[in-house]
Amino acid sequence: MDELTLNFTVVHDKFSLSINEKLSLGGITGIFGHSGSGKSTLLKVIAGLEKHVQGNLAINNDELLNSEAKLFVSAQQRNIGLVFQNSRLFPHLSVEENLRYGQKRNKDCVLNFLEIIELTQLESLLDKAVTQLSGGEQQRVALARALLAEPKLLLLDEPLSALDDKNKIVLLALLEKVNKQLNLPMLYVSHSLPEIQQLADKLLVISSGEVSHHGDIHQVIHQLTTNNEILHQTSLSLPVNEHLPEFGLTSLALGEQQIFIACDHQPDKEQQVRCIIAASDISVTLHEPLKSSIVNHLYGTISTFDKIGSPDGRNVQMLLSVNCSGQNFFVTITTWSAKRLSLILGQEIFIQFKANAVRALR
Amino acid sequence: MNNPHPDILAFITTLKMAGITTIILMIIGTPLAWYLAKMQSRAKVIIEALVALPLVLPPTVLGFYLLLLFSPQYLPGQIWQQATGQQLAFSFSAIVIGSVLYSLPFVVQPLQKAFEQLGDDLLEAAAMLGASAFDRFFTIVLPITKASFITAASLGFAHTVGEFGVVLMIGGNIPGETRVLSIALFDHVEAFDYAQAHIISISLIISSVVLLSLIYLLNRPAKTKQLKSKRLT
Repeated sequence: MDELTLNFTVVHDKFSLSINEKLSLGGITGIFGHSGSGKSTLLKVIAGLEKHVQGNLAINNDELLNSEAKLFVSAQQRNIGLVFQNSRLFPHLSVEENLRYGQKRNKDCVLNFLEIIELTQLESLLDKAVTQLSGGEQQRVALARALLAEPKLLLLDEPLSALDDKNKIVLLALLEKVNKQLNLPMLYVSHSLPEIQQLADKLLVISSGEVSHHGDIHQVIHQLTTNNEILHQTSLSLPVNEHLPEFGLTSLALGEQQIFIACDHQPDKEQQVRCIIAASDISVTLHEPLKSSIVNHLYGTISTFDKIGSPDGRNVQMLLSVNCSGQNFFVTITTWSAKRLSLILGQEIFIQFKANAVRALR
Repeated sequence: MNNPHPDILAFITTLKMAGITTIILMIIGTPLAWYLAKMQSRAKVIIEALVALPLVLPPTVLGFYLLLLFSPQYLPGQIWQQATGQQLAFSFSAIVIGSVLYSLPFVVQPLQKAFEQLGDDLLEAAAMLGASAFDRFFTIVLPITKASFITAASLGFAHTVGEFGVVLMIGGNIPGETRVLSIALFDHVEAFDYAQAHIISISLIISSVVLLSLIYLLNRPAKTKQLKSKRLT
């Protein structure tokens, strides 16, 4: 797998970005951060659009930047694709001419034009002027244009932020399909964690111009939840156990236990299903709730026990992490419940949540 | 034509001067406008002011200093004379150089404005698709700002045709060399030959109106033209 080495500093007037990381380029890496954290600047540095950079940048042993040796490979020579927030289609060219712009300039093209058009569903738009396209269509053209230039790495800078919810879903599904079919590594920048959770296998978090977390997406979400940096949630990927079409449920295997999720179609048995469960949607009980409409109850032990809440002491809650068959689940309960149930570290309990509380991503 | 009418000769000289000046202006003005559009340093305002100077300065001031510089007593004039063996002042080359300086803002300003409006977004996108700087200029910048290039060239040309002060100061009145239409007109008026003066004046007015109308025609309907062709397809 290719490796991207980042070791650089960018200093602007009131902002600096300093990164020293190695990213393995495979699948989709999400880059998450609040606005102004420096995540878009990071993409510009990798793309070669940011000129005032000190440090080194390389893909495997190919140096893209070495400021000491005064080496700067220009954006057009890096063979890296970038899909921007705004589609940036060339207004004087037709859709097809836009699509062919990058392809014509890459001598080693092997991708079939029509295959990419089919993949991105642009057949009916080829002759149109780009000004006639809707926002979702424009972004699809921008994506296809970037793909046809056959980059070795595709950067996506908040590509969905200008789209409505319906188009977001369409484009997310398309990105996933593209990533699998073309086996093209992607770096996906967004300030929306749910978007990244939908796509990425790895997550890099940037905060105030530095990398604060980097790793497997579930582990990073776990750390962010532990640090109270995001809405408390459990993020996990599980294999499919069986599908129960008559109930619209699918069961996923968690060790010897199972989790039911609402699912109206037969999921791919080979594929892991990625799930997110909000900590506030899970409750705790001391005995196995056999006579309950709540379908999911898992046996586990309390592994951590923390008070969370506003600094003024109001709305204080307990954040538990409960280890069920090796997977930690985050649960928030009131301090009153914690006291009433006399919960202590290491105690064996049951957690329960509805099938509908599980947000399945794929 | 063995002996063309002096006014025809002046007309040809004018066209030659304006044509060569416009070509030089486009070659110099395009990179200068690009540089100004992308420049962020504070020195930008000074360069902009210098480029715009001919808009406010009496042409005779520019002509006066150019006359001094072009004369063999000063270095630029000396260098020219050594290189070409001819005096620069009162030559066709002198009026072309004067015209280039005098008409510079008419070319640089519309181009600079167009480049500023174009911005970096599309150029960055083109670079990410593998287009070099030259490639980007010819495939993105030029087609999108085509109307501004036509405007700049037409204004530069028209303004050069209409200039008087600078040419008079540094060119004098040599038939076939520096005697252009505006000077010929001045001659006719001084000689009370109003009939000939009318012919020159009216033809200059008409050709200017035609040229300016063409500029506005080319600039205005960029959008409506596109829409029409779209409806047809």
